[in-house]
Amino acid sequence: MKKVLFISLNLILLACIPLYAQKQNTKGKQLFGDLSARHIGPALMSGRINDLENHPTNNRIIYAGTAGGGVWKSNDGGVTFNPIFDKYCQSIGALEIDPGNPDNIIYVGTGETWTRNSVSIGDGLYKSVDGGVTWNKLGFDKSERIANIIVNPKNSKEIYVGVLGALWGDSQERGVFKSTDGGITWSKILYTNKKTGCADLAMDPKNPNVLYASMWEFRRTGWSFESGGDHSALYKSVDGGATWNKIHNGFPEGKLGRLAIAVAPSNPNVLYTVIEAEKNERKGLYRSNDAGASWQQLNNDFGITVRPFYFSRIVVDPKNEDVVVKAGLSGSISRDGGKTFKNLGNMHSDIHDITFDINDSDRMYAGTDGGVYRSLNGGTTMEIVENLPLSQFYHISVDNAEPYNIYGGLQDNGSWYGPSSSSGGIQARDWNSVGYGDGFRVLKHPTKNIIYSEMQGADNVWRYDVDNKRVKTIEPLPQKGYPKLRFNWNAPMAISTHQPDRFYMGSQFLHKSEDMGNTWEIISPDLTTNNPLKQNQEHSGGLSKDNSGAENHTTIFTIAESTLDEHIIWVGTDDGNVQITKDGGKTWENTSQNIPNLPEGIWTYHIEPSVFNKGTAYVVFDGHTMNDMKPYAYKTTDFGKTWTNIITDDVIGFVRNIQEDYVNPDLLFLGTEFGLYITINGGESWSKFTNNMPAVAVHFIDLQKKTNDLVMGTHGRGVIIIDDISPLREINKEMLAKKVHFFKPKPTIINEEGSFSGSFGRETQFIGSNPTKSAQIKYHLNRRHTFGKMTLEIQDEKGTTISKLGPGKSKGINIVNWNYRLKQPKVAKGKTFSFGGFTSPLVKAGTYTVVLKKGKDTYTSKIDLIYDPNSKLTSSDRAFKHNTIMKMYNMSEALAYMVYELDAITKKAIELKKQKLVNKLMGLKETLVITSGDNYVGSAEPQLREKMTDLYSKIASSYDKPSDAELENLSIIEERFENAQKTYSKIKKKISFLEDLNLKSVEEFLE
Amino acid sequence: MVVNIKYKKMKKLLLVAAILLSHTINAQTVDEILTTYYENIGGLENLKKVKGVKMTAKVNQQGMEIPLEIYQMSDGKQMTVISFQGKEIKQGVFDGETLWSHNFMTMKAEKSDAEATENMKLNSNDFPDSFIDYKEKGYTVELLGKETIDGTETFKIKIIKEPITVDGKKEDDTSYYFFDTENFVPIAIQSQIKSGPSKGMTQEITMSDYQEVEGLYFPFSMTQGLKDQPQKQPITITEIKLNPEVNDTLFAFPTEE
Repeated sequence: MKKVLFISLNLILLACIPLYAQKQNTKGKQLFGDLSARHIGPALMSGRINDLENHPTNNRIIYAGTAGGGVWKSNDGGVTFNPIFDKYCQSIGALEIDPGNPDNIIYVGTGETWTRNSVSIGDGLYKSVDGGVTWNKLGFDKSERIANIIVNPKNSKEIYVGVLGALWGDSQERGVFKSTDGGITWSKILYTNKKTGCADLAMDPKNPNVLYASMWEFRRTGWSFESGGDHSALYKSVDGGATWNKIHNGFPEGKLGRLAIAVAPSNPNVLYTVIEAEKNERKGLYRSNDAGASWQQLNNDFGITVRPFYFSRIVVDPKNEDVVVKAGLSGSISRDGGKTFKNLGNMHSDIHDITFDINDSDRMYAGTDGGVYRSLNGGTTMEIVENLPLSQFYHISVDNAEPYNIYGGLQDNGSWYGPSSSSGGIQARDWNSVGYGDGFRVLKHPTKNIIYSEMQGADNVWRYDVDNKRVKTIEPLPQKGYPKLRFNWNAPMAISTHQPDRFYMGSQFLHKSEDMGNTWEIISPDLTTNNPLKQNQEHSGGLSKDNSGAENHTTIFTIAESTLDEHIIWVGTDDGNVQITKDGGKTWENTSQNIPNLPEGIWTYHIEPSVFNKGTAYVVFDGHTMNDMKPYAYKTTDFGKTWTNIITDDVIGFVRNIQEDYVNPDLLFLGTEFGLYITINGGESWSKFTNNMPAVAVHFIDLQKKTNDLVMGTHGRGVIIIDDISPLREINKEMLAKKVHFFKPKPTIINEEGSFSGSFGRETQFIGSNPTKSAQIKYHLNRRHTFGKMTLEIQDEKGTTISKLGPGKSKGINIVNWNYRLKQPKVAKGKTFSFGGFTSPLVKAGTYTVVLKKGKDTYTSKIDLIYDPNSKLTSSDRAFKHNTIMKMYNMSEALAYMVYELDAITKKAIELKKQKLVNKLMGLKETLVITSGDNYVGSAEPQLREKMTDLYSKIASSYDKPSDAELENLSIIEERFENAQKTYSKIKKKISFLEDLNLKSVEEFLE
Repeated sequence: MVVNIKYKKMKKLLLVAAILLSHTINAQTVDEILTTYYENIGGLENLKKVKGVKMTAKVNQQGMEIPLEIYQMSDGKQMTVISFQGKEIKQGVFDGETLWSHNFMTMKAEKSDAEATENMKLNSNDFPDSFIDYKEKGYTVELLGKETIDGTETFKIKIIKEPITVDGKKEDDTSYYFFDTENFVPIAIQSQIKSGPSKGMTQEITMSDYQEVEGLYFPFSMTQGLKDQPQKQPITITEIKLNPEVNDTLFAFPTEE
């Protein structure tokens, strides 16, 4: 009965498929199939680290929680790392390894906690029970930033979580939380108010009921930061968090800011705190020797007090209570209990966390704005981990070179450009520095080898003449009759597709230069709200002044000149304006009032003028600095008079960028804080792209026109590329209903490039992958092929099968690579290998037929191969080369058959004890193939087979036509082969038992 | 019009069926999934009777076609025979005690390291399928939920086998199997790479082209590669032979000539 039921249900399921397929197939993984993202780094400058965590008993294992690039695990003591959290929010606050089950149970608290202006947000607490392979969310959806997680070492079910909470607004999801059931239920055990969160949490290592919590009053807006207040405090509980008391005996008077707390693992009575206070002389490091009953100030050096919101962590050597390390601009270490400090060894500045090896305190790890560093000598010499591609791009652009380059600027790591493809993969050394400081927008001059780059607040805008190595600063300077210029931290620049030397920059005004930045003209009034309440950068910081320029507000943030009309320029401001001019700047219109349901004053993050229609543009808004995490994207078709919302519930996370396809106006790409979304229907529905694409913040997207590659600047995982998105242009309902749909292939250039690339350092360095040079056969299946046979063949114009490929079986887009080569020739059997015989010859350029057989059905398509247009070979050279290669290919197979026959005859002759014949045969064979030695330095003298295949391989592997020297060599080999054939037929003629051997025919042998 | 109404009715009916069905699926337990799997591929009893398989296969690497023969026997003996230019190279040969391979340079047999050999011995009870009698074998099997693999909905099942030793330390031997929710056959297996340069990354094997061999269904097409990475290596199986006649000496570590 059960079986019958199952069968009938299965039938229904089968019947359901065609009906539901259409709907399902426009979404997510079922649509994108083999379309996969490619990561190219760079890793050489890495990116910001928020938290490091040791495995408590196995010092090979270390975890790094990064500011924007997820969680990485090292299995080799910090030499290399692998990502283990790609599906989830990539901004990490805290990690915890359960001391009671350290191989399996890991907690990840999302949302970075060193609250600079550019921080991302978290979305809760996660737990893995299998060492980080799979994850479950435990809630805290609105926590935004988790500062600490501590598991009771004696009870895995008891967990404490310190939630710092929302940075840009009020929130009650803050304070200290406790679970006693392994994270299923939680109670809030310490809470102050909507503005005060838990900045640090510590547990007495010997008594898990003793807890310390620092509470911090803080708030950021787009234009200010405030650290400190009456509610910041340090608390202690001795009853597992049931009751808390302030422990301020010896603390400075007045308001407090961010406090850190650390308990010495070797002596829990020794505590350290770093205090941000009203008076500078009372800031700094404090120590308690009586578990918090009283405190003494020890030190207020710069290294201890610098930027408390950014550097607050204190770490005590697990074996020595007097060795204490403080995070900071350079990082500081004390070996006298905190009285005096020296800097840690040279490394990237801005150190956020430090850990000691569990067994050997000389081995240390530091997490910085530029990745993870290791030390083997107590922090004196620091060595960077080279395979963490965590670069945080604010912006990227591409050029039209072959291969094209990607340009972009990074958080605290300057500006760079690097290639989309490079010999042996894209390595650290392929990247070129083109700017200092924090890097933002980097643009290539459309026609000249000149690069524009900038640092924060347009303090410097560089024009770099790459060929002549000339650098000039060209930022717009104050002009008579105009007020002080206000530039955003991430100041916008733009170039024109109409006038190559034109260059735009935005302050509160739009600046235009027609001579690459030598002279500037202001072509707009103040395009912002010019709201004085949002112009208090100088007073930013709270208890510790922080006038970095990062809070400059009421500025222009995005500029775009229409590619269809140079007089149409769109400008967006950080305070919500969307301005357009249709006359090159003479008149301006603010269209933001026309946008429905748009909150006032949120950032106009990006405007994308359409390439299809002058009046059409897309605009995305970001309200996260006003505590609004919702996505906003709109479209206008009438120069901004009316706007339509194109966001659906599919999209999670605020939006920073949108990219329109150049061919299909309904194909759009959306960069959000939690990854990439794609629509194929103009925004009616969106699908998250997750194929090798982490849920990382996508800050900028560009589409390379020649390759159709989608290039993303991510803020935490470097540059990520989806090669050739053209199949997405063809997706529609009719196509999805078909069982098999072949996408139109681009003609593929037969790759004859060759170059060298050393492999030095690859063992431990990140290497970005290259795009394939193979021809790609792309098709869509409306369901996965699981039962029955499915094959894919390539046939030449005569219908002869020349290659059998392993077809993709996925529902959705399948991509099969064909390297346009024939099978390697059959080679005579010898004692060792003939390495030349492993070469597979390239097929000729031309049109080939792709034959896909699935069950009883056959589907076909065509694919064109062309020769490199830059090749110097004529068509007769090509024909000659091909014929020569195939002649040698066939010769090699003829020799293979001869040796096969000869071996069979020899064997029989031995059986028949015909020693004379055996000797003759063996004598001949020794001249045909190697009959002794090995494949390495024990190899024997090469014989005919080796000479033949080596020459074959030499010619087949060359981009050039066969040379005279090669042809002469060929004639020697031919002659030797002819002689061998003659000798052989003489021997063969006399053999009587040939018929008895049941030899395979030539065709059978070659099959 | 009539057609339209009919269509709507049918759609409604199917919707109801789909809801019913989704309930059924939600209620699946690991054992039910495995039971259906064995039923669908020809029956557990038949599967258990198999004494060994020989697979003839091809892999294609940069245009180089490499023929393979893979032997797996019920007592754990196994080997892969690769043919290069008429020479046979054996890889991953296990006779129950010794794990060995031919060295590509000298083409002589060499023993694998002790750790790899010990770990291989632990797999001796996994023929033809790790899930058979998993409780008796002391394995932990758990249904983790559903996941989309190759665009298709699957049940994700975790299996933890005997702990293996990796670079001197004991570690769980965990794999994840993805059973197609439509056919109840595995279409993918994922596991973490435990050592070597790719250590810590996830390996993925996909399976398709299930075809019948003497009443049992086997996947005739597989790919192997890193999870989420393109460029998976396809393996096409041309023939599967059940209970092949193989001389035990073929698995034995050869003595130096």
